[in-house]
Amino acid sequence: MEIGVQKQTDEEKQAQPEQFNKLDDSGDKKQTGYCGFLTVEYYTPYFNVTETDVIQRIKATFLPFRPDFLNITKENPDLWGPIWINATLIFMITAIANLRQVDSEKENQSFEVGYVPQATALLYIIAFGTPVILAIVMKILGVDLSFFQTICLYGYSMSTLLPITILCYFQNEMFLWMIIAYGVGNSILFLIFNLKEELDKLQIQKKYIIIGIVVTMQLSLYLFYKLVFFSYVSEGKIELSSAAQEESQPGN
Amino acid sequence: MEFEVQENQANNSIQGIINLQPQVNQVNQVQVQQQEIQIKQTDIQVSSTLEESVAVTLLRDLRQIGIKLRCVLVPTMSTDNARELRNWDLWGPLVFCLMLALTLSLSGNNDDGPGIFATIFVLIWVGSFVVTLNAQLLGGKVSFFQSVCVLGYCVFPINLGALFTLFFQFFYLKMFLVIGCFLWSTYSAVGFMKLLIPEQKRILALYPVILFYLFLSWFALIV
Repeated sequence: MEIGVQKQTDEEKQAQPEQFNKLDDSGDKKQTGYCGFLTVEYYTPYFNVTETDVIQRIKATFLPFRPDFLNITKENPDLWGPIWINATLIFMITAIANLRQVDSEKENQSFEVGYVPQATALLYIIAFGTPVILAIVMKILGVDLSFFQTICLYGYSMSTLLPITILCYFQNEMFLWMIIAYGVGNSILFLIFNLKEELDKLQIQKKYIIIGIVVTMQLSLYLFYKLVFFSYVSEGKIELSSAAQEESQPGN
Repeated sequence: MEFEVQENQANNSIQGIINLQPQVNQVNQVQVQQQEIQIKQTDIQVSSTLEESVAVTLLRDLRQIGIKLRCVLVPTMSTDNARELRNWDLWGPLVFCLMLALTLSLSGNNDDGPGIFATIFVLIWVGSFVVTLNAQLLGGKVSFFQSVCVLGYCVFPINLGALFTLFFQFFYLKMFLVIGCFLWSTYSAVGFMKLLIPEQKRILALYPVILFYLFLSWFALIV
């Protein structure tokens, strides 16, 4: 009787660690399986940069003819840049667009605040949606770039918009179109030169598909940018009020 | 199981000892476990917070908010402050967020009150969420709700700035006040977050905090 009970308790003790192992396995599977991308730990490796790295990467976007960017970020794509460059852009769009509306003759001036949701939607959809689509297309066509590298590349290419937004403060229409054109050119060249190494491995038609997607998306981003946020020039109050009505309509 | 309770009338507390004894004692190898757990309850009795009047509850919560506000806004970073901030609560941030959104949407200068209210509300909560997430992703050992709590409490100076801009009309005075409130908020929030981030990523974690308060101050100035 005593020996029987002892064996039972030993078996129970052996059974218990197995149960714990099973729990651990299923827990691990849940964490790294389909829902892995919802945890914080999944994204931590992509924030492994320091301030000097970020500044170096932003500087590299302004010199598109030296394709250092992809070489720098191939092993260490980061997500800090794309997220916070776009957040800074949203703030600058709001600030500069409001400053352009300043009319020193009006006493109690009301400023347009609808830019914030519009800018947020536009910038984040383009900054994260376009690279995802591009990465899917590239994977289908056989290029070997991961999602995060493409998101990193695109996010940093948005930093060309930073000085352009500041310069959009000026009221001269011709000047605005010129700097928008410069911005389009700079960012398209930056993206294409950095993807060139990967693209050269493909056939001609596939290369042009990807280049076509890149060019189209950048053109539409910059056109949108100009027409929605900085379209009017406050020469007279009539233009101001009609443009304000135009802006409030899509908001409603 | 035995449960002994002694009621201590002197300082209004209950002290007790629980003896846990499993019923199985027929086999010699089974060990008899005896645990003694001390219960000490030195505060208000358990059922009384349900029976107190609403005014007492609200005043207690308001006093807690006031204490934490003083800890956050006078940025001395003593250990008392740190311990106080560990009891995070979200009432304070909600109160200040609503106050700021109401002040800005009801000021006479704009033609889109509901839009401004919604923008500020979403901006404060989503902004706190994203800034805290950013600090966690950069490797900081910061508890999520504690950080949201501190960021929400540091919105209070911008609240004051928005109230002042309601009364003054002179633009440069408004700008000066709002800049002062922005610097106060940022200094408090940065003082708290600075301690929890590794050295080389400090600016990467603090820049979003600065951007967050800059955004809110801009709204306080413009609207």
